[in-house]
Amino acid sequence: MSKKPPLLQVEGMQIRRGGVQVLDLPGFSIASEEKVAVIGPNGASKSSLLLGLACLIRRECGAIIFQGKEVTAREETAFRRQIAMVFQEPLLFDTTVLDNVAEGLRIRGHGRREARETAMKCLELFKVGQLASRSAHKLSGGEAQRVSLARAFAVKPKLILMDEPFSSLDLPTRIVLTEDLGRILHESGTAALIATHDRIEALRVVDRLVVMDGGVIVQEGKPHEVIANPVNSFVAAFKRTTVPTAN
Amino acid sequence: MITKQMLTRFTTLAATLAILIWGTTVLAAPKTIILATTTSTQDSGLLDVLVPLFEKESGFVVKTISVGSGQAMKMGEKGEADVLLVHSPDAEKKFMTAGFGTTRRLVMHNDFIVVGPASDPAKVKGVSATDALKCIAQAGTIFISRGDNSGTHAKEKGLWKGVGISPEGQKWYQETGLGMGHSLNVAAEKKAYILADRATYLALKKNMALEILVEGDGKLLNIYHVLEINTKKWPKVNAAGGKAFADFMVAKKTQDIISRFGVDKFGEPLFFPDAGKKPESLGL
Amino acid sequence: MELILDGIGRTIALIFTLDREVLTVTLLSFKISGCATLASLIIGIPTGVFLALSDFPGRRLIVSVVNTGMGLPPVVVGLFVTISLWRNGPLGLLEMLYTPSAMILAQSVIAAPIVTGITIAAIQNLPSNLKLQVRAMGATKLQTIWILVRESRLPLLAAVMAGFGGVISEVGASIMVGGNIKGQTRVLTTATVMETGKGNFETAIALSLILLLLAFGVNYLLTVIQQRERPR
Repeated sequence: MSKKPPLLQVEGMQIRRGGVQVLDLPGFSIASEEKVAVIGPNGASKSSLLLGLACLIRRECGAIIFQGKEVTAREETAFRRQIAMVFQEPLLFDTTVLDNVAEGLRIRGHGRREARETAMKCLELFKVGQLASRSAHKLSGGEAQRVSLARAFAVKPKLILMDEPFSSLDLPTRIVLTEDLGRILHESGTAALIATHDRIEALRVVDRLVVMDGGVIVQEGKPHEVIANPVNSFVAAFKRTTVPTAN
Repeated sequence: MITKQMLTRFTTLAATLAILIWGTTVLAAPKTIILATTTSTQDSGLLDVLVPLFEKESGFVVKTISVGSGQAMKMGEKGEADVLLVHSPDAEKKFMTAGFGTTRRLVMHNDFIVVGPASDPAKVKGVSATDALKCIAQAGTIFISRGDNSGTHAKEKGLWKGVGISPEGQKWYQETGLGMGHSLNVAAEKKAYILADRATYLALKKNMALEILVEGDGKLLNIYHVLEINTKKWPKVNAAGGKAFADFMVAKKTQDIISRFGVDKFGEPLFFPDAGKKPESLGL
Repeated sequence: MELILDGIGRTIALIFTLDREVLTVTLLSFKISGCATLASLIIGIPTGVFLALSDFPGRRLIVSVVNTGMGLPPVVVGLFVTISLWRNGPLGLLEMLYTPSAMILAQSVIAAPIVTGITIAAIQNLPSNLKLQVRAMGATKLQTIWILVRESRLPLLAAVMAGFGGVISEVGASIMVGGNIKGQTRVLTTATVMETGKGNFETAIALSLILLLLAFGVNYLLTVIQQRERPR
């Protein structure tokens, strides 16, 4: 088995928020096309992990290595143009759905027509093509989050970071969205890091599960292995609410 | 979307535009003169006739700043004006003695009048200026003062001093701090007495219910001088421009225009030209 | 009442005969206040965005200064600008006193805090994670500012109206720094004061009405744009 260099590698990252250390990560990596889920009781460390990886918040120390090269301060924007991030709220712009999805491409310098064409294809991929000309602030929760996902995928990122993307949606919507997300992630070959608080649908989509507690990784491994051997009560509780999966 | 290319193009365009605008305004600006003068010369309309004439003849651009004589002289003291046209003789003499001005030339005169309501509650009609003030103080009827160190205000203060009365702080003595026209409006509204120059009064007469009650008194003479500022103290002063304007004001042609100003509109001239005359000859 | 009717009559007469002086004065009002509003937007919006999004010691102090500046008496601005622009003052070498540029400067100083204050409020009103989302999308700092300003365009249009309204009706500072010079720095407000002082009340009323019409016209245009942009 050839060992490909990881897509993203983190070394010695520490993050403090409000004077308290919320993240202490001596080492962490994501391989290309790998889907990883991060679970844990505390929201702050998971969000900090994602924001820290995207170089969006200050870190006390630590290096981020993307595709073998370290991301320096000057290269941060270029690095961020290779990834995408989706938050718990859709955070759509006050314009049409289509222009929302096209925005990432426009930022990267694409022309309006070209951007809109690509955006349209992405909307259809997420089954919301019919909403293209609707105002983005007039969507239901599920529709808005689909648009947010479409917006993230439109720029063909190598890695997509998701901070509890479905936690504010109701269960049926979550299940459907997770399935669609999983399929699209697999077909596009995009790596993903999904933080989730207490929803386990993400586990059906990922190759690796990481458990964080108190800002450090306490357990890591294939999803069903981790669930079978819970290291703390939190993971144990997960096990009881797991929806039976095919694998 | 904003790209680096767009940004550089925009910045170059903005910079070019800024330089062009600055260049055309600064380089094309003809020599300007700052004329500090009184509100009475402005409100009477005299300068609206004389200044364009001067600008056409001389090529200078005149910025006429109408404030009171007091402020005008302060501007002269600080070198913020090039030439003064004022009517406050005592203050002017102090100004010249202190060396702020190079020349002081007589230009014209008119007279002050005491105006008030037709009902004349203080009964001052026809009396002398000093007696009028005494009556007003005694009767306690409202008297409006400019209160702004203007030439009119200086004259008024001189008259009060002359009769030994200190009106400041008394309830009937109200100071507006405004120009002649505005102060006349206030007096008309309050049916009060006020000392005004004849020119401004005539120009505003039709809109106000004030009548001339005291006139012709020698003490009410209102004399205008033109003063050039001393460039030795303030090199930034436009000496050539100041001189050109001062010469213009005492030139025969201008003096003729002054003598005829207002005749067609009010039936009498508003100012009397006096260039070259000795101050004593003014029938003081 | 008769005076007001006379004034209205004079207004119509002045407008229809395109009286040259009134035209000059009106155009100058529009030009000067327009430039000042534009300058205040160029200064105020980026400053407002910066203050809304940044965090540094003393930031709250600066924001308080901005908010105080929103209520700054225009005549105070006029006084300090005049003193600065005096020949022997710190900015005397610009030779700007008694020119339209001086009026634009004074009016910009008056309007800029208004625009900045409203911008700060508008940006702070955006969802807190929006800036992170935009940066995560790979936007440069400048692109981020552009997008956030775009997202706040409705309240920002209100800022434009507030700024313009404030300066077109300003008279104290305009008289001090402009000198009310015919054809050069005489605008609708300063001319109204002068005509009143001269006793020409119908003309003063006419100028006031024209000023109101001008202000209303501009604000109507901006309101139409703003209300059209409202989320459908």
